Amino acid sequence: MTEEKKFTTISIPTPLAEKIKKRIKGTGFTSLSSYVTYVLREVISGVEEEREEAFSKDDEKRVKDRLKSLGYLE
Amino acid sequence: MELDKNINYIVSGLERSGTSLLMQILHAGSIPCAFDESRKPDNNNPKGYYELEGGKIINKLMDGTFPLDKYKGIFIKITAYGLKFLPPGKYVILYSERNIEEILDSMEKMAKIKDINREETKNAFIRLNNMIKIHIKDRSDIDCMFVNYNKILTNPEISIKKIHEYLGMPKEYLDEMMGVINKRLYRQRRIL
Repeated sequence: MTEEKKFTTISIPTPLAEKIKKRIKGTGFTSLSSYVTYVLREVISGVEEEREEAFSKDDEKRVKDRLKSLGYLE
Repeated sequence: MELDKNINYIVSGLERSGTSLLMQILHAGSIPCAFDESRKPDNNNPKGYYELEGGKIINKLMDGTFPLDKYKGIFIKITAYGLKFLPPGKYVILYSERNIEEILDSMEKMAKIKDINREETKNAFIRLNNMIKIHIKDRSDIDCMFVNYNKILTNPEISIKKIHEYLGMPKEYLDEMMGVINKRLYRQRRIL
């Protein structure tokens, strides 16, 4: 049975890679990959967090009432 | 300057987030903008609202009767909640954001109310803003740029240049666009 591949390769522009290499010098990041993985995880968790706070029916009623009082909705 | 006649151009954001100012800036830059006089300038917007039908086009978007085709190649203002009802098409949206406390202050002043449930109202508008931002970022028929009202007023040069570049405008209009910023309008500023 073949073991599932745990990593994949992603291409980024060379100038960006060079910038990142400079940026991570002297930090705890041991490689370009570890830094990019960290940044992507941060972005994804941020997006998921945003999506969790759903616009509820109560929110919609409150917004519509306010828009009516401002003359934006009839 | 001409805009692509296959695209609907929209200025949006929560109400009182600086959408009228954005329309003013675009209009000053000779960018086609559609608005009427159905809501007259007042103390809340001394330079006008730059909107169609007194801002009440959300209802028409909701029931599918707003003639979007008529406004292709022209910027119009559709506030945030209305974006939820945009039919499939091709859109470019400039989306304005502003400090939420300033937005609520301005809404209360305009509606002549004192909101006793302000915290709940604030959370509802924050969640609306988040939902609409995700919605327009997710839709493949929408290209959007986010601009910040507070930054436009504190650092107009950088913010307006970004809009200018985003729309691919000729340089000669930049001065006119910059000229719109009237710091006296910034009456309800709060520290971010």
